[in-house]
Amino acid sequence: MLRRYLAKRLLVAVPSLLIASLIVFTLPRLIPGDVVVLMLAEKAYAKDIDELRAKLGLDRPLPVQYVEWLGKVARGDLGESLWTKRPVVEEIGQRLPITSELALLGLAVALIIAIPVGVISAARQDTIADYVARSVAILGLSVPAFWLATLLIVLPAIWWGWRPVTGFVEFSRDPIGHVAQLLLPAAILGIAVGAALMRLTRGMLLEVLRQDYVRTAWAKGLGERVILMKHALRNAVIPVVTLLGTQLPQIIGGTVIIETVFGLPGMSRFLFDAINQRDYPVIQGVNLVVVSLIVLVNLAVDALYAVLDPRIRY
Amino acid sequence: MSLSRRDVLRLGGAVLAGASLTPSAVLAQTPKRGGTLSIRTWDPPNFDPFQTISYKTHIALSFTHSRLLKHKAGPGVAPGTFPLEGDLAESWTQPNETTYVFKLRKGVRWHNKPPVNGRELTADDVVFSVNHFLTVKGNANAYMLKAVDKVEAPDKYTVKFTLKEPFVWFLDMLSNPHAVAIVAKEVLDKHGDFKKHETVIGTGPWMLDSYRPNVGLTYVRNPSYFLPGLPYIDRIEATVDEDNASRMAAFLSGKYDLGWEFVGSIARVDWVQIKGTLAQRRPNLKTVEFPSPVMNHISMRTDQKPFSDVRVRRAMSLAIDRKAIIDSAYEGVGVLNPPVAAALKEWAIPFDKLGEGAKYYKYDPAEAKRLLAAAGYPNGFPGTMCFTTYGTPVLVDIMQLVQKDLKAVGIDVKIDQKEYGAYIATCFYGKFESMTFGPQTGFLEPDNFLFGQYYPEELKNQSHINDPVVADMLVRQRRTLEPAKRREIIYDIQRHLAQQQYYVQMPSAVYVAVWEGALKNYAPNMGYDYGGRLMAAWLDR
Repeated sequence: MLRRYLAKRLLVAVPSLLIASLIVFTLPRLIPGDVVVLMLAEKAYAKDIDELRAKLGLDRPLPVQYVEWLGKVARGDLGESLWTKRPVVEEIGQRLPITSELALLGLAVALIIAIPVGVISAARQDTIADYVARSVAILGLSVPAFWLATLLIVLPAIWWGWRPVTGFVEFSRDPIGHVAQLLLPAAILGIAVGAALMRLTRGMLLEVLRQDYVRTAWAKGLGERVILMKHALRNAVIPVVTLLGTQLPQIIGGTVIIETVFGLPGMSRFLFDAINQRDYPVIQGVNLVVVSLIVLVNLAVDALYAVLDPRIRY
Repeated sequence: MSLSRRDVLRLGGAVLAGASLTPSAVLAQTPKRGGTLSIRTWDPPNFDPFQTISYKTHIALSFTHSRLLKHKAGPGVAPGTFPLEGDLAESWTQPNETTYVFKLRKGVRWHNKPPVNGRELTADDVVFSVNHFLTVKGNANAYMLKAVDKVEAPDKYTVKFTLKEPFVWFLDMLSNPHAVAIVAKEVLDKHGDFKKHETVIGTGPWMLDSYRPNVGLTYVRNPSYFLPGLPYIDRIEATVDEDNASRMAAFLSGKYDLGWEFVGSIARVDWVQIKGTLAQRRPNLKTVEFPSPVMNHISMRTDQKPFSDVRVRRAMSLAIDRKAIIDSAYEGVGVLNPPVAAALKEWAIPFDKLGEGAKYYKYDPAEAKRLLAAAGYPNGFPGTMCFTTYGTPVLVDIMQLVQKDLKAVGIDVKIDQKEYGAYIATCFYGKFESMTFGPQTGFLEPDNFLFGQYYPEELKNQSHINDPVVADMLVRQRRTLEPAKRREIIYDIQRHLAQQQYYVQMPSAVYVAVWEGALKNYAPNMGYDYGGRLMAAWLDR
C-alpha cells in the first residue's frame, strides 16, 4: 500500500515540478537588466550587447528557449553556465554535497536541541527549567543567524586572535578538518530551527500528556521515563516531523548566508552569485534541484508517519 | 559651512604617506627567496580576460600573464602615478605619430603546461592576442585600443602597431592591467575561449596551481620566468572570502598579509575600529594612505531644462556640503575631486589652479538659492534621481546627504532606486529623465575619465554634453605627445568644466593600504596589477 501511495505521490509531483520549472525559468528573466548587460557592464557598446545576446542564444523567443531547456532537462542536461561555460550538472554536483552536509548537520543540531529540551520543558511545566528553556527558545528564534555568525567569528578574533576554521577543507584531504569546519555553521543554522521545533515538541507533548491513555499509564504505576518517552513522545512527535519537513526550505535559505560567512563553496552561495550575475541556466538548475529535494523530503516525511504511528496506513 | 582655501588644499592633498614605510631601509636588505604569501581574493566569474571586465578575473590573471608594457611598482613609485616600463617588450620606439615598434625580450617561455608546454613566446603571439582582443565578440575593453589600425610581426621579436590617428595614451592603454593579456593561440584552439581555469597559461611570474571555485586559488612560482631570480615568493594562497566579518577576523588572526579590500586596503570604517587591536597583535604592519580614484557624481540631462542652464548646475554644486560627506561617510578623511579624480595626482588640477570655477566646489547654499532664482526657479524644482546602491551602505549614506542638501535649496529630489543590472542598462548610459547619482569607474588615465564622459555621443556621456570647446580640447590632448603641454590642455579642460558643472563631483575616500611588515620591497598602488606589485617583493620570515 505504501509503495502505491508513494508512486501516486511521485506522479503528482511531476506537474508540481513542471510548474516550478516554468516559474524558475520565467522569474529571473523578468528582473530588469540581463546577463549580457552585466557581462559587458560599464563599457558595453550597443552592438556588442546584441551580438553577445545572439551568441548566448538569448535573442530567441522565451517559449522556444523554455521548451529547448525542458527537453534537455528530461535528458538529464541542465545546460551550461553562461559565465563559466561549465555544465550546470557538474557545478551542482560539486556543491550539492556541501550544502546537503550542512543542512543535515543543521537539522541534527536542531533535533538534538529540540527534542530533549522540549521534553524536559513539558515534563517540568512552569518550573525554572521550563521558563529558561522557553526564554532561550524565543531568543534562538529571534537572533538572526548572520548576526550570531558574525559575533562568533569576530569576537574571538578580537579577544584572543583566534578565529574558527573558515575556507573549505575537502573531506578527501582532511576528514576531521572537514567535519570540524561544518560544526559551527551547522550549530548556528540549527539554532533557529531547533527553537521552533522545541516549542512545538513542548506544546504537543503537553497536549498528549493530558490525554486519557496517559492518565491510565500513570494509574498503572508506570515510570515517568516510560510514559514520556514510550507513550507520549511518540504521539506528540508527528507534527514535529511535519514541521521538520517544512523547515527544509528555511534551512536551505539559511545556508546562503552561512556559506558566505564561513566560506563554504555550497550550492546556496552558487545560486546567490548566479542570481546576481543573471546566470539563467544555473538559477534554473539549482532551483529545480531544490524543488525536487523538497518534494522528496516531504514524501519521506509522509512515509515516516506510518513508521511513527502504526495506526496510519496508506 | 564653507570650505576655506586651506581646507580645500588639505582635503585635496595627494598622497598621505604612512609613517612606517621606509623604502631606503628595505632596499638595503638582501632579498630572500621562498615563502607563502596569503591574500584575500574574489572568485572570478571566469578566466577569460577578453570576455569580462571584472576586476576579479583581471586580478587573478595579473599573477600569471604578461603584457607588452606594465606600470612600474615598488616603494619608489608614489601611489597615483603610473610610470611605464617594459614587460614583454624590452624596448620600443615611435617612428611617427601613428606607428609604434616594440622589440620583445628573447627567450620568454610560456608556462610549462599543455598545449604550449613551455615553448618560446614570439611576436606572432602578441599579434594574435591583440587581434583577438580587438575582434572577439563581447570584449567590453576593446575600446581601449580603438585607435589601432593594424598590428604586425615583421620578425620573431618585433611587433609593429599602426594607429588610425594619433593617440598619445596608447602606451598607457597597453600597460593597463585590464588591457591585452598576452595569450597563446593553441590554448584558444584547444578550449574555444579562455573561460575555464585550465586556460590560465601565460608567461607571468606565477603559475596557477589550483583553482577551487568559491574557495580560492593557489599560485606557484614560475621557474622559467624571464626576469632572472624573480619572483622571490614561492607560493601565493589567495582565499575567496565574501564576508566582511570573516575577513576582519582572518586579518586580526594574522591569516592575510595584505589588507582584505581592493588594492590591499582596509575600509576606514573597519580600520578605525581595529587599528588599536592590530597595533598589539600585529605590530609590524605597514600602512600607506592614498586617495581612491573612484568618485561619485550627479549627472543631469544638460540637454533639457532646467539643467541646460549653467546657473542651475552651479547652484547644485554649491548646494552640496562636501565636507559633511567626508565627515559622515569617510570617517573624516577624504579628498575633493576636480573633474579628473584627485587620485591621479599627475593629471588632476590642484584646486588653487582651478581659477574661477573653484568657487563652485564650496558649500554656499545662499548663493545656490540666488542662482536658482536668477535662473527662474526661486522655489527650486522637483526632480528624480536614478540610483543603485552597488551593495554598499556608504553610497546610500552619501545619496541621502545629497538629497538633503539639494532639498535645502529647494530642489526636491525623489530617489528612483534601481536594481544594479537595471541601473547599468539605463541610467549608467544616460537613459534617465532628470538626474542620476552614482560612482564613476576608477580609471588610471585622465583620458578615460574625460573622453568618455564629455565627448559628444560617447556611451558614458551621461549628462548628454555637447560642448564644442570641450570636444576640441579632448581631441587635442589625445594628439599632444609632450606631457607638459598635454597636462596644460587637461588642466584647461578641467578649468572649463569646473565653470560648467556638467557633473557635480563628490569627494573620494582615502584608501588605507595595509601589509605585513615581513613583506619587503612592496608598495601598494591603484589598479588590478596585484601580480606586478608583488613580483619583486619578498618575505622576511
